[in-house]
Amino acid sequence: AKDFISSSRPARRDWTKLIYSSDLSPRAIISSSSLDPQAADDDTPDDDDDFFRPMKAGKSAEKDEEAPDMSKLAIDEEELKGWDDEEMLDSIRHLFITGGNAPGDTN
Amino acid sequence: MAIPTSLLHYSGHSHLRQRLVLSVLSGKPLKIDKIRPNDSNPGLRDYEVSLLRLLEKVTNGTVIEISLTGTAILVKPGIIAGGPVIHDCPLSRSMGYFLEPVIMLAPFSKKPLNLTLRGITTDEKDLSVDLIRTVTLPHLELFGVSDGLELRIKKRGAQPLGGGEVQFLCPIVKQVKTLNFVEAGKIKRIRGIAHAVRVSPQFSNRMIEACRSVVNRYIPDVYLYSDVYKGEDSGKSPGYALSLLAESTTSALHCAEAVSRPGVAPEDVALEASRLLLSEIQRGGCVDRKHQPLILLLMVLGSEDVGRCRMSSPTERTVQFLRDVRDAFGTSFKITPADKTNSSSTDLLYSCYGTGYINANRTIA
Repeated sequence: AKDFISSSRPARRDWTKLIYSSDLSPRAIISSSSLDPQAADDDTPDDDDDFFRPMKAGKSAEKDEEAPDMSKLAIDEEELKGWDDEEMLDSIRHLFITGGNAPGDTN
Repeated sequence: MAIPTSLLHYSGHSHLRQRLVLSVLSGKPLKIDKIRPNDSNPGLRDYEVSLLRLLEKVTNGTVIEISLTGTAILVKPGIIAGGPVIHDCPLSRSMGYFLEPVIMLAPFSKKPLNLTLRGITTDEKDLSVDLIRTVTLPHLELFGVSDGLELRIKKRGAQPLGGGEVQFLCPIVKQVKTLNFVEAGKIKRIRGIAHAVRVSPQFSNRMIEACRSVVNRYIPDVYLYSDVYKGEDSGKSPGYALSLLAESTTSALHCAEAVSRPGVAPEDVALEASRLLLSEIQRGGCVDRKHQPLILLLMVLGSEDVGRCRMSSPTERTVQFLRDVRDAFGTSFKITPADKTNSSSTDLLYSCYGTGYINANRTIA
């Protein structure tokens, strides 16, 4: 549960450092920033047994193949379902000219 | 040009488009190996080969060597020539796949580009021609590429048989302007284009109806256009799609789109598009996530001054793009939280010092 809290309220991430001075793959960087702890787990190196590495490499190549060079982003069904909720719909009202100020906005 | 060049060397098939663009703009040769080496069908795909052929047509003097197995390529870039070009896109990818890299190159050609593409106009992988016309091109205008910039959709072509045709006209510039875009503003209007080809024209209206049910709660200024194409102009396959864009008071644009799939009702396609748009609006920033690499590239090419832009957190593609840009131009961005006082805001401020890229291909008038 503690892990979940820390991942759902991420500290400010140092993007400059993550992008330019880490060897993490773009997917690892993005998924560890997402609110889904499952996704972050996916990319933690699995050091069970070095012997099985070739198989894993093959698997990740397959994964790449499923996500070809495309400019539209993969659709997150869960995120879209969230928009069924009235509260969720109202939460972005402040981003429209008709919506007034955000709750936390001091301006 | 006798500029000492270093080789850009990458492995794997991903991010091919942005690497080709960076190679051509920086004049550095590009070598890519290990292109799907373990795949049952190794090497380049037909659309990737087609993209290389298109690059050959748009440029002059580009040498492309593809290894026998197709798993490695070497590109020695020439100059960007522009002028009239006609290209038939394979049916495996939509025109967006080909247009996006061309849009990054076209302002720096020798002669204004007049590109005719034939193939699929809308699919779920790349930006459709509607989004490119209504969202991507206005982004170029931020950088001073505007007079004569146009995308004409002459015929639509849905998957799988295509049959669409578009004409892309792009003016040339000497240099792009430095961007300073930090005020996201508030959404003031929503526009959309619904099109349905080779199916009942009622489908457009049903999509528009469903979309309104979601977005009308926010603002009254919603105009959804039903784009009708008839006969020859509607391509060879049936299909429909809804493209939406939201414009803010500072002209920040966010866009979303959903395309018909077998067995999915027009209402559901429209709902998907509307919700994608809301997600995009929620993420905030001045630039839509699908356009991050384009904006960042033009910022790097800007005049020798600090360019700044407020955007949401980078996508996977953007992260790799930032790394590739550093390889090609040596420019790295400073990425800082945009709102230091408001901890709930995740917006980031991207800033960089422009390289002062001058269009050396331009014919001197």
